[in-house]
Amino acid sequence: MSRRPALDAGVVPGEIVLEHASRAFSVKADRGRTLKEMLIGRKRAGGPAPVEALKDVSLRIEPGETVGMVGRNGAGKSSTLRVLSGIVPLNCGRVACGGQVVAQLELGAGFGRDFSGRENIFLNGALHGLVKEQIEQRLEAIIAFSELGDFIDAPVATYSSGMFLRLGFSIAAHLDADVLLIDEVLAVGDEAFQRKCEARIASQIAAGATLVLVSHDAALIERTCERVIVLDGGRVVFDGPVGEGMPFYHRLMGTAEGADAVTPVPGEPPGERV
Amino acid sequence: MSRHNRRVAYRYLFEQLIRRELRQKYKGSALGVLWYLINPLVLMGAYYLMFGLIFKLDTIDDYPLFLMVGLVVWIFFSQSVLSAAPSLLEQGALVRKASFPRVAIPGAVVSVQLVTFLVILALVAIVTIAIRGTLDVSLLLLAPILACLYAFTLGFALAVSILHAYFRDVAPILSAALLPWFFVSPIFFQIDSITRNDAYRHLLEWGNPIAPFITAIRDVIYGGVMPETDVLAYVAVAAVVMLFGGKWLFDRMQDELAVVV
Repeated sequence: MSRRPALDAGVVPGEIVLEHASRAFSVKADRGRTLKEMLIGRKRAGGPAPVEALKDVSLRIEPGETVGMVGRNGAGKSSTLRVLSGIVPLNCGRVACGGQVVAQLELGAGFGRDFSGRENIFLNGALHGLVKEQIEQRLEAIIAFSELGDFIDAPVATYSSGMFLRLGFSIAAHLDADVLLIDEVLAVGDEAFQRKCEARIASQIAAGATLVLVSHDAALIERTCERVIVLDGGRVVFDGPVGEGMPFYHRLMGTAEGADAVTPVPGEPPGERV
Repeated sequence: MSRHNRRVAYRYLFEQLIRRELRQKYKGSALGVLWYLINPLVLMGAYYLMFGLIFKLDTIDDYPLFLMVGLVVWIFFSQSVLSAAPSLLEQGALVRKASFPRVAIPGAVVSVQLVTFLVILALVAIVTIAIRGTLDVSLLLLAPILACLYAFTLGFALAVSILHAYFRDVAPILSAALLPWFFVSPIFFQIDSITRNDAYRHLLEWGNPIAPFITAIRDVIYGGVMPETDVLAYVAVAAVVMLFGGKWLFDRMQDELAVVV
Protein backbone atom coordinates (compact mmCIF):
# COMPACT_ATOMS: atom_id res chain seq x y z
CA MET A 1 0.00 0.00 0.00
CA SER A 2 1.80 3.11 1.16
CA ARG A 3 5.52 3.46 1.57
CA ARG A 4 4.94 4.46 5.14
CA PRO A 5 5.27 1.57 7.59
CA ALA A 6 2.05 0.59 9.30
CA LEU A 7 1.21 2.78 12.24
CA ASP A 8 0.96 -0.18 14.57
CA ALA A 9 4.25 -1.81 13.63
CA GLY A 10 6.21 -3.03 16.62
CA VAL A 11 3.87 -1.93 19.41
CA VAL A 12 1.15 -3.66 21.39
CA PRO A 13 -2.44 -2.37 21.22
CA GLY A 14 -2.81 0.80 23.21
CA GLU A 15 0.90 1.59 23.19
CA ILE A 16 2.19 4.84 21.73
CA VAL A 17 5.77 5.53 20.74
CA LEU A 18 7.38 8.65 19.33
CA GLU A 19 11.12 8.51 18.72
CA HIS A 20 13.02 11.63 17.76
CA ALA A 21 9.91 12.83 15.96
CA SER A 22 10.19 16.05 14.00
CA ARG A 23 7.70 17.75 11.76
CA ALA A 24 7.71 21.18 10.14
CA PHE A 25 4.91 22.92 8.30
CA SER A 26 5.11 25.53 5.62
CA VAL A 27 3.15 28.59 6.64
CA LYS A 28 2.70 30.13 3.23
CA ALA A 29 -0.75 31.42 2.47
CA ASP A 30 -1.09 29.32 -0.63
CA ARG A 31 -0.04 25.87 0.39
CA GLY A 32 -0.51 24.17 -2.93
CA ARG A 33 2.27 24.59 -5.41
CA THR A 34 1.52 25.63 -8.92
CA LEU A 35 3.05 23.98 -11.92
CA LYS A 36 4.85 27.20 -12.77
CA GLU A 37 6.82 27.00 -9.55
CA MET A 38 7.76 23.46 -10.27
CA LEU A 39 8.92 24.29 -13.76
CA ILE A 40 10.77 27.50 -12.97
CA GLY A 41 12.36 26.49 -9.72
CA ARG A 42 11.12 24.52 -6.82
CA LYS A 43 10.72 27.13 -4.14
CA ARG A 44 9.23 30.58 -3.96
CA ALA A 45 11.74 32.98 -2.55
CA GLY A 46 10.91 34.84 0.65
CA GLY A 47 7.97 34.25 2.91
CA PRO A 48 8.15 33.00 6.45
CA ALA A 49 10.30 30.00 7.25
CA PRO A 50 8.55 26.69 7.94
CA VAL A 51 7.23 26.32 11.47
CA GLU A 52 8.66 23.40 13.36
CA ALA A 53 5.64 21.95 15.10
CA LEU A 54 7.52 19.02 16.59
CA LYS A 55 11.24 19.11 17.34
CA ASP A 56 12.87 15.84 18.21
CA VAL A 57 10.06 14.62 20.43
CA SER A 58 10.49 11.24 22.09
CA LEU A 59 7.87 9.72 24.31
CA ARG A 60 6.41 6.38 25.20
CA ILE A 61 2.91 5.86 26.50
CA GLU A 62 1.94 2.47 27.90
CA PRO A 63 -1.44 0.84 27.26
CA GLY A 64 -4.09 2.15 29.62
CA GLU A 65 -2.30 5.37 30.54
CA THR A 66 -4.22 8.63 30.68
CA VAL A 67 -2.16 11.49 29.36
CA GLY A 68 -3.08 15.16 29.22
CA MET A 69 -1.23 17.28 26.73
CA VAL A 70 -1.01 20.97 27.49
CA GLY A 71 0.88 23.99 26.26
CA ARG A 72 0.41 27.35 24.61
CA ASN A 73 -1.35 27.82 21.32
CA GLY A 74 1.03 26.57 18.66
CA ALA A 75 3.08 24.45 21.04
CA GLY A 76 2.59 21.38 18.88
CA LYS A 77 -0.26 19.63 20.70
CA SER A 78 -2.61 19.25 17.77
CA SER A 79 0.27 18.39 15.46
CA THR A 80 1.24 15.60 17.82
CA LEU A 81 -2.27 14.19 17.68
CA ARG A 82 -2.38 14.43 13.90
CA VAL A 83 0.92 12.57 13.74
CA LEU A 84 -0.29 9.91 16.18
CA SER A 85 -3.49 9.38 14.21
CA GLY A 86 -1.49 8.89 11.01
CA ILE A 87 -3.02 11.86 9.20
CA VAL A 88 0.27 13.73 8.92
CA PRO A 89 3.60 11.93 8.45
CA LEU A 90 6.82 12.85 10.23
CA ASN A 91 9.74 14.53 8.51
CA CYS A 92 12.00 12.29 10.51
CA GLY A 93 11.80 9.99 13.48
CA ARG A 94 9.40 7.17 14.21
CA VAL A 95 5.76 7.07 15.25
CA ALA A 96 3.80 4.02 16.29
CA CYS A 97 0.34 3.81 17.73
CA GLY A 98 -0.98 0.36 18.54
CA GLY A 99 -4.39 -1.15 17.89
CA GLN A 100 -7.58 0.65 16.94
CA VAL A 101 -6.90 4.37 17.09
CA VAL A 102 -9.91 6.64 17.40
CA ALA A 103 -9.05 10.26 16.79
CA GLN A 104 -11.55 12.93 17.73
CA LEU A 105 -9.87 15.93 16.20
CA GLU A 106 -12.99 17.58 14.94
CA LEU A 107 -16.40 16.22 15.76
CA GLY A 108 -18.59 15.64 12.78
CA ALA A 109 -15.79 16.05 10.26
CA GLY A 110 -17.03 14.37 7.13
CA PHE A 111 -20.71 14.52 7.96
CA GLY A 112 -22.78 14.73 4.82
CA ARG A 113 -24.96 17.73 5.50
CA ASP A 114 -27.86 16.37 3.49
CA PHE A 115 -27.72 13.04 5.21
CA SER A 116 -29.85 12.34 8.23
CA GLY A 117 -28.19 11.80 11.57
CA ARG A 118 -28.79 8.09 11.19
CA GLU A 119 -27.15 7.95 7.75
CA ASN A 120 -24.21 9.93 9.07
CA ILE A 121 -23.68 7.35 11.78
CA PHE A 122 -23.10 4.80 9.02
CA LEU A 123 -20.89 7.12 6.97
CA ASN A 124 -18.83 8.15 9.98
CA GLY A 125 -18.55 4.60 11.26
CA ALA A 126 -17.30 3.55 7.84
CA LEU A 127 -14.68 6.31 7.95
CA HIS A 128 -13.46 4.78 11.18
CA GLY A 129 -13.16 1.42 9.49
CA LEU A 130 -16.35 -0.25 10.72
CA VAL A 131 -18.59 -2.38 8.54
CA LYS A 132 -22.35 -2.21 8.35
CA GLU A 133 -23.04 -4.97 10.89
CA GLN A 134 -20.71 -3.43 13.45
CA ILE A 135 -22.43 -0.08 13.09
CA GLU A 136 -25.88 -1.63 13.30
CA GLN A 137 -24.92 -3.26 16.60
CA ARG A 138 -24.04 0.13 18.02
CA LEU A 139 -26.75 2.16 16.34
CA GLU A 140 -29.28 2.23 19.18
CA ALA A 141 -26.64 3.02 21.77
CA ILE A 142 -25.27 5.87 19.68
CA ILE A 143 -28.69 7.38 19.09
CA ALA A 144 -29.61 7.07 22.76
CA PHE A 145 -26.33 8.62 23.86
CA SER A 146 -26.70 11.57 21.48
CA GLU A 147 -30.12 12.42 22.97
CA LEU A 148 -31.24 13.49 19.53
CA GLY A 149 -34.54 11.62 19.66
CA ASP A 150 -36.60 12.06 16.52
CA PHE A 151 -34.05 14.46 15.08
CA ILE A 152 -31.91 11.45 14.23
CA ASP A 153 -33.86 11.11 10.99
CA ALA A 154 -33.63 14.79 10.05
CA PRO A 155 -30.77 16.03 7.85
CA VAL A 156 -27.84 17.24 9.94
CA ALA A 157 -28.00 20.54 8.04
CA THR A 158 -30.99 21.32 10.27
CA TYR A 159 -29.09 20.60 13.50
CA SER A 160 -27.92 23.19 15.95
CA SER A 161 -24.17 23.21 16.45
CA GLY A 162 -24.63 21.48 19.82
CA MET A 163 -26.66 18.68 18.25
CA PHE A 164 -24.07 18.32 15.51
CA LEU A 165 -21.25 17.93 18.01
CA ARG A 166 -23.27 15.60 20.23
CA LEU A 167 -23.84 13.24 17.34
CA GLY A 168 -20.16 13.42 16.39
CA PHE A 169 -19.07 12.60 19.90
CA SER A 170 -21.61 9.81 20.30
CA ILE A 171 -20.32 8.02 17.22
CA ALA A 172 -16.66 8.28 18.20
CA ALA A 173 -17.46 7.25 21.77
CA HIS A 174 -18.96 3.96 20.63
CA LEU A 175 -16.02 2.69 18.63
CA ASP A 176 -13.85 0.09 20.34
CA ALA A 177 -10.75 2.17 20.87
CA ASP A 178 -7.37 0.97 22.03
CA VAL A 179 -6.12 4.52 21.76
CA LEU A 180 -8.30 7.61 22.18
CA LEU A 181 -6.91 10.85 20.80
CA ILE A 182 -9.10 13.77 21.78
CA ASP A 183 -8.41 17.36 20.79
CA GLU A 184 -10.37 19.97 22.70
CA VAL A 185 -13.71 18.54 21.75
CA LEU A 186 -15.18 17.82 25.15
CA ALA A 187 -16.77 21.24 25.45
CA VAL A 188 -19.74 19.63 23.80
CA GLY A 189 -23.30 20.53 24.53
CA ASP A 190 -24.51 21.53 27.95
CA GLU A 191 -23.00 20.69 31.29
CA ALA A 192 -25.01 17.52 31.70
CA PHE A 193 -23.85 16.23 28.36
CA GLN A 194 -20.24 17.12 29.15
CA ARG A 195 -20.43 15.07 32.32
CA LYS A 196 -21.85 12.21 30.30
CA CYS A 197 -18.96 12.47 27.82
CA GLU A 198 -16.43 12.37 30.65
CA ALA A 199 -18.14 9.37 32.15
CA ARG A 200 -18.12 7.64 28.78
CA ILE A 201 -14.40 8.31 28.37
CA ALA A 202 -13.78 7.07 31.91
CA SER A 203 -15.55 3.81 31.09
CA GLN A 204 -13.47 3.39 27.93
CA ILE A 205 -10.33 3.92 30.02
CA ALA A 206 -11.60 1.40 32.55
CA ALA A 207 -11.95 -1.02 29.66
CA GLY A 208 -8.25 -0.58 28.98
CA ALA A 209 -8.06 2.24 26.43
CA THR A 210 -5.15 4.65 26.35
CA LEU A 211 -6.16 8.31 26.43
CA VAL A 212 -4.29 11.29 25.04
CA LEU A 213 -6.28 14.42 25.74
CA VAL A 214 -5.40 17.88 24.49
CA SER A 215 -7.16 20.63 26.36
CA HIS A 216 -6.75 24.09 27.81
CA ASP A 217 -9.14 23.14 30.58
CA ALA A 218 -6.81 22.49 33.52
CA ALA A 219 -9.58 21.12 35.72
CA LEU A 220 -10.57 18.62 33.06
CA ILE A 221 -6.99 17.42 32.72
CA GLU A 222 -6.67 17.06 36.47
CA ARG A 223 -9.91 15.08 36.67
CA THR A 224 -9.16 12.80 33.72
CA CYS A 225 -5.42 12.28 33.46
CA GLU A 226 -2.73 10.77 35.64
CA ARG A 227 0.16 11.92 33.54
CA VAL A 228 0.71 15.25 31.85
CA ILE A 229 3.00 16.28 29.02
CA VAL A 230 3.74 19.97 28.62
CA LEU A 231 4.79 21.05 25.16
CA ASP A 232 6.44 24.32 24.36
CA GLY A 233 7.75 25.35 20.96
CA GLY A 234 7.46 21.79 19.65
CA ARG A 235 9.44 20.21 22.49
CA VAL A 236 8.48 18.25 25.57
CA VAL A 237 9.34 20.49 28.53
CA PHE A 238 7.64 18.42 31.19
CA ASP A 239 6.53 14.83 31.33
CA GLY A 240 5.36 13.41 34.61
CA PRO A 241 2.51 13.00 37.09
CA VAL A 242 -0.33 15.45 36.81
CA GLY A 243 0.21 16.65 40.38
CA GLU A 244 3.57 18.15 39.41
CA GLY A 245 2.80 18.83 35.78
CA MET A 246 -0.07 21.23 36.23
CA PRO A 247 1.81 23.57 38.60
CA PHE A 248 4.66 23.51 36.10
CA TYR A 249 2.24 24.34 33.30
CA HIS A 250 0.73 27.22 35.28
CA ARG A 251 4.18 28.63 35.98
CA LEU A 252 5.05 28.28 32.31
CA MET A 253 1.96 30.17 31.33
CA GLY A 254 2.51 32.74 34.08
CA THR A 255 -0.87 31.99 35.54
CA ALA A 256 0.20 30.55 38.90
CA GLU A 257 -0.56 32.76 41.88
CA GLY A 258 2.49 34.52 43.24
CA ALA A 259 4.88 32.60 41.01
CA ASP A 260 7.02 34.05 38.28
CA ALA A 261 6.84 32.46 34.89
CA VAL A 262 9.66 30.09 34.22
CA THR A 263 11.48 29.79 30.95
CA PRO A 264 12.04 26.13 30.30
CA VAL A 265 15.46 25.05 29.13
CA PRO A 266 15.03 23.30 25.79
CA GLY A 267 16.36 19.80 25.73
CA GLU A 268 16.46 19.49 29.50
CA PRO A 269 12.97 18.53 30.48
CA PRO A 270 12.61 18.42 34.20
CA GLY A 271 10.08 15.63 34.03
CA GLU A 272 11.01 12.34 35.59
CA ARG A 273 9.88 10.04 32.83
CA VAL A 274 11.98 11.22 29.92
CA MET B 1 -7.91 -5.27 12.68
CA SER B 2 -6.47 -7.88 10.42
CA ARG B 3 -5.62 -7.09 6.84
CA HIS B 4 -8.71 -8.92 5.64
CA ASN B 5 -11.04 -7.09 8.02
CA ARG B 6 -9.58 -3.82 6.93
CA ARG B 7 -10.28 -4.62 3.31
CA VAL B 8 -13.90 -5.50 4.09
CA ALA B 9 -14.30 -2.36 6.18
CA TYR B 10 -12.92 -0.12 3.48
CA ARG B 11 -15.19 -1.65 0.91
CA TYR B 12 -18.06 -0.50 3.08
CA LEU B 13 -16.49 2.95 3.35
CA PHE B 14 -16.28 3.03 -0.42
CA GLU B 15 -19.98 2.21 -0.66
CA GLN B 16 -20.80 5.00 1.79
CA LEU B 17 -18.70 7.52 -0.12
CA ILE B 18 -20.51 6.62 -3.33
CA ARG B 19 -23.84 7.23 -1.62
CA ARG B 20 -22.57 10.54 -0.37
CA GLU B 21 -21.31 11.50 -3.80
CA LEU B 22 -24.67 10.67 -5.36
CA ARG B 23 -26.55 12.61 -2.73
CA GLN B 24 -24.44 15.73 -2.61
CA LYS B 25 -23.95 16.34 -6.28
CA TYR B 26 -27.46 17.34 -7.12
CA LYS B 27 -28.87 18.04 -3.69
CA GLY B 28 -32.04 20.07 -3.68
CA SER B 29 -32.53 19.75 -7.42
CA ALA B 30 -35.90 18.52 -8.58
CA LEU B 31 -34.51 15.84 -10.85
CA GLY B 32 -31.74 14.74 -8.48
CA VAL B 33 -29.64 11.83 -9.66
CA LEU B 34 -31.45 11.90 -13.01
CA TRP B 35 -29.04 14.71 -13.92
CA TYR B 36 -26.37 12.07 -14.18
CA LEU B 37 -28.34 10.70 -17.11
CA ILE B 38 -29.67 13.96 -18.53
CA ASN B 39 -26.30 15.68 -18.86
CA PRO B 40 -24.72 13.11 -21.16
CA LEU B 41 -27.94 12.70 -23.11
CA VAL B 42 -28.11 16.46 -23.79
CA LEU B 43 -24.46 16.43 -24.79
CA MET B 44 -25.10 13.54 -27.13
CA GLY B 45 -28.08 15.39 -28.62
CA ALA B 46 -25.94 18.47 -29.23
CA TYR B 47 -23.17 16.51 -30.92
CA TYR B 48 -25.68 14.65 -33.02
CA LEU B 49 -27.14 17.95 -34.14
CA MET B 50 -23.70 19.20 -35.10
CA PHE B 51 -22.11 16.16 -36.69
CA GLY B 52 -25.17 14.18 -37.69
CA LEU B 53 -27.34 16.90 -39.18
CA ILE B 54 -25.29 20.03 -39.85
CA PHE B 55 -21.98 18.54 -41.01
CA LYS B 56 -23.43 15.42 -42.50
CA LEU B 57 -20.94 12.62 -42.69
CA ASP B 58 -23.00 10.36 -44.91
CA THR B 59 -20.27 7.88 -45.67
CA ILE B 60 -20.90 6.05 -42.42
CA ASP B 61 -23.96 3.81 -42.09
CA ASP B 62 -26.41 4.63 -39.32
CA TYR B 63 -24.27 7.59 -38.43
CA PRO B 64 -26.21 8.58 -35.28
CA LEU B 65 -25.57 5.16 -33.79
CA PHE B 66 -21.92 5.26 -34.80
CA LEU B 67 -21.64 8.64 -33.11
CA MET B 68 -23.51 7.66 -29.94
CA VAL B 69 -21.43 4.59 -29.15
CA GLY B 70 -18.19 6.55 -29.35
CA LEU B 71 -19.62 9.52 -27.53
CA VAL B 72 -20.84 7.49 -24.55
CA VAL B 73 -17.35 6.12 -24.02
CA TRP B 74 -15.80 9.56 -24.31
CA ILE B 75 -18.28 11.13 -21.92
CA PHE B 76 -17.56 8.49 -19.29
CA PHE B 77 -13.83 9.04 -19.56
CA SER B 78 -13.89 12.82 -19.65
CA GLN B 79 -16.54 13.29 -16.96
CA SER B 80 -14.76 10.86 -14.67
CA VAL B 81 -11.36 12.50 -14.87
CA LEU B 82 -12.83 16.02 -14.78
CA SER B 83 -14.79 15.38 -11.62
CA ALA B 84 -12.03 13.30 -10.01
CA ALA B 85 -9.37 15.98 -10.46
CA PRO B 86 -10.67 18.40 -7.77
CA SER B 87 -12.23 15.66 -5.61
CA LEU B 88 -9.50 15.50 -2.95
CA LEU B 89 -9.66 19.24 -2.44
CA GLU B 90 -13.45 19.17 -2.27
CA GLN B 91 -13.26 16.58 0.49
CA GLY B 92 -10.52 18.52 2.27
CA ALA B 93 -12.33 18.57 5.61
CA LEU B 94 -12.36 14.81 5.62
CA VAL B 95 -8.76 14.44 4.50
CA ARG B 96 -7.46 16.84 7.15
CA LYS B 97 -9.34 15.34 10.07
CA ALA B 98 -9.75 11.64 9.50
CA SER B 99 -7.46 8.80 8.66
CA PHE B 100 -8.76 6.47 5.96
CA PRO B 101 -7.55 5.32 2.54
CA ARG B 102 -7.61 8.48 0.47
CA VAL B 103 -7.85 6.50 -2.72
CA ALA B 104 -11.52 5.93 -1.88
CA ILE B 105 -12.38 9.55 -2.71
CA PRO B 106 -11.46 9.66 -6.43
CA GLY B 107 -12.43 5.99 -6.60
CA ALA B 108 -15.98 6.83 -5.53
CA VAL B 109 -16.21 9.65 -8.08
CA VAL B 110 -15.22 7.38 -10.96
CA SER B 111 -17.48 4.59 -9.78
CA VAL B 112 -20.51 6.88 -9.70
CA GLN B 113 -19.74 7.86 -13.29
CA LEU B 114 -19.38 4.21 -14.18
CA VAL B 115 -22.91 3.45 -13.03
CA THR B 116 -24.39 6.19 -15.22
CA PHE B 117 -22.21 5.14 -18.09
CA LEU B 118 -23.37 1.54 -17.90
CA VAL B 119 -27.02 2.61 -17.89
CA ILE B 120 -26.61 4.84 -20.95
CA LEU B 121 -24.38 2.35 -22.74
CA ALA B 122 -26.98 -0.37 -22.22
CA LEU B 123 -29.65 1.83 -23.79
CA VAL B 124 -27.43 2.75 -26.74
CA ALA B 125 -26.28 -0.85 -27.22
CA ILE B 126 -29.81 -2.26 -27.24
CA VAL B 127 -30.99 0.30 -29.78
CA THR B 128 -27.88 -0.11 -31.94
CA ILE B 129 -27.97 -3.89 -31.98
CA ALA B 130 -31.73 -3.90 -32.64
CA ILE B 131 -31.48 -1.52 -35.59
CA ARG B 132 -28.30 -2.85 -37.12
CA GLY B 133 -28.73 -6.52 -36.26
CA THR B 134 -25.17 -6.70 -34.96
CA LEU B 135 -25.75 -9.31 -32.29
CA ASP B 136 -22.64 -11.44 -32.42
CA VAL B 137 -20.54 -13.60 -30.10
CA SER B 138 -18.03 -10.77 -30.07
CA LEU B 139 -20.45 -8.98 -27.73
CA LEU B 140 -19.14 -11.28 -25.02
CA LEU B 141 -15.93 -9.27 -25.19
CA LEU B 142 -17.78 -6.16 -24.05
CA ALA B 143 -17.50 -6.97 -20.34
CA PRO B 144 -13.70 -7.40 -20.28
CA ILE B 145 -13.25 -4.34 -22.50
CA LEU B 146 -15.39 -2.27 -20.15
CA ALA B 147 -13.41 -3.57 -17.18
CA CYS B 148 -10.26 -2.37 -18.93
CA LEU B 149 -11.86 1.01 -19.64
CA TYR B 150 -12.79 1.36 -15.98
CA ALA B 151 -9.28 0.43 -14.88
CA PHE B 152 -7.74 2.86 -17.36
CA THR B 153 -10.05 5.70 -16.32
CA LEU B 154 -9.57 4.98 -12.62
CA GLY B 155 -5.80 5.02 -12.98
CA PHE B 156 -5.94 8.27 -14.90
CA ALA B 157 -8.32 9.77 -12.31
CA LEU B 158 -6.03 8.76 -9.42
CA ALA B 159 -3.10 10.45 -11.12
CA VAL B 160 -4.87 13.71 -11.90
CA SER B 161 -6.56 13.93 -8.50
CA ILE B 162 -3.33 13.54 -6.53
CA LEU B 163 -1.42 15.83 -8.91
CA HIS B 164 -4.11 18.49 -8.63
CA ALA B 165 -3.93 18.41 -4.82
CA TYR B 166 -0.30 19.52 -5.06
CA PHE B 167 -0.32 21.51 -8.29
CA ARG B 168 -3.51 23.45 -8.72
CA ASP B 169 -3.00 23.92 -12.43
CA VAL B 170 -3.71 20.31 -13.22
CA ALA B 171 -7.52 20.50 -13.37
CA PRO B 172 -7.56 23.63 -15.60
CA ILE B 173 -4.96 22.08 -17.90
CA LEU B 174 -6.97 18.90 -18.05
CA SER B 175 -10.22 20.63 -18.90
CA ALA B 176 -8.44 22.66 -21.59
CA ALA B 177 -6.84 19.53 -23.03
CA LEU B 178 -10.03 17.50 -23.17
CA LEU B 179 -11.59 19.49 -26.01
CA PRO B 180 -8.78 19.04 -28.55
CA TRP B 181 -8.41 15.51 -27.25
CA PHE B 182 -12.06 14.93 -28.13
CA PHE B 183 -11.56 16.18 -31.66
CA VAL B 184 -8.62 13.88 -32.39
CA SER B 185 -10.42 10.86 -30.96
CA PRO B 186 -12.30 8.66 -33.42
CA ILE B 187 -15.72 9.61 -32.07
CA PHE B 188 -17.45 11.38 -34.94
CA PHE B 189 -15.15 10.13 -37.68
CA GLN B 190 -13.47 6.94 -38.78
CA ILE B 191 -9.72 7.18 -38.80
CA ASP B 192 -9.51 5.42 -42.18
CA SER B 193 -11.78 7.92 -43.85
CA ILE B 194 -10.00 11.10 -42.86
CA THR B 195 -6.39 10.38 -43.77
CA ARG B 196 -4.48 8.32 -46.31
CA ASN B 197 -1.19 9.15 -44.67
CA ASP B 198 0.02 6.10 -42.74
CA ALA B 199 1.99 8.10 -40.22
CA TYR B 200 -1.03 10.21 -39.24
CA ARG B 201 -3.24 7.18 -39.21
CA HIS B 202 -0.94 5.32 -36.83
CA LEU B 203 -0.66 8.38 -34.65
CA LEU B 204 -4.44 8.73 -34.40
CA GLU B 205 -4.90 5.03 -33.80
CA TRP B 206 -2.14 4.38 -31.30
CA GLY B 207 -0.93 7.74 -30.08
CA ASN B 208 -4.22 8.47 -28.34
CA PRO B 209 -4.73 5.96 -25.52
CA ILE B 210 -8.51 6.33 -25.47
CA ALA B 211 -8.87 5.64 -29.22
CA PRO B 212 -8.43 1.85 -29.01
CA PHE B 213 -11.08 1.68 -26.29
CA ILE B 214 -13.54 3.54 -28.49
CA THR B 215 -12.65 1.37 -31.47
CA ALA B 216 -13.00 -1.86 -29.55
CA ILE B 217 -16.34 -0.98 -27.95
CA ARG B 218 -17.68 0.27 -31.26
CA ASP B 219 -16.56 -2.92 -33.02
CA VAL B 220 -18.55 -5.17 -30.71
CA ILE B 221 -21.68 -3.01 -30.42
CA TYR B 222 -21.97 -1.12 -33.70
CA GLY B 223 -19.96 -3.35 -35.97
CA GLY B 224 -20.86 -6.76 -34.58
CA VAL B 225 -17.32 -7.92 -35.26
CA MET B 226 -14.33 -9.01 -33.24
CA PRO B 227 -11.94 -6.14 -32.55
CA GLU B 228 -8.48 -6.57 -34.04
CA THR B 229 -6.11 -8.47 -31.79
CA ASP B 230 -3.69 -5.56 -31.59
CA VAL B 231 -6.51 -3.27 -30.46
CA LEU B 232 -7.48 -5.70 -27.71
CA ALA B 233 -3.89 -6.09 -26.64
CA TYR B 234 -3.47 -2.31 -26.50
CA VAL B 235 -6.63 -1.99 -24.41
CA ALA B 236 -5.45 -4.58 -21.90
CA VAL B 237 -1.94 -3.18 -21.62
CA ALA B 238 -3.14 0.43 -21.37
CA ALA B 239 -5.54 -0.55 -18.59
CA VAL B 240 -2.88 -2.31 -16.53
CA VAL B 241 -0.23 0.36 -17.07
CA MET B 242 -2.56 3.25 -16.28
CA LEU B 243 -4.13 1.61 -13.23
CA PHE B 244 -0.86 0.61 -11.63
CA GLY B 245 0.89 3.79 -12.72
CA GLY B 246 -1.87 5.96 -11.28
CA LYS B 247 -1.98 3.97 -8.05
CA TRP B 248 1.79 4.09 -7.72
CA LEU B 249 1.83 7.87 -8.16
CA PHE B 250 -1.06 8.26 -5.72
CA ASP B 251 0.66 6.16 -3.07
CA ARG B 252 3.91 8.01 -3.51
CA MET B 253 2.32 11.41 -3.12
CA GLN B 254 -0.54 10.86 -0.67
CA ASP B 255 1.42 11.18 2.59
CA GLU B 256 1.32 14.96 2.67
CA LEU B 257 -2.30 15.23 1.55
CA ALA B 258 -3.66 16.39 4.91
CA VAL B 259 -1.16 19.24 4.81
CA VAL B 260 -1.67 20.45 1.26
CA VAL B 261 -5.42 20.30 0.76
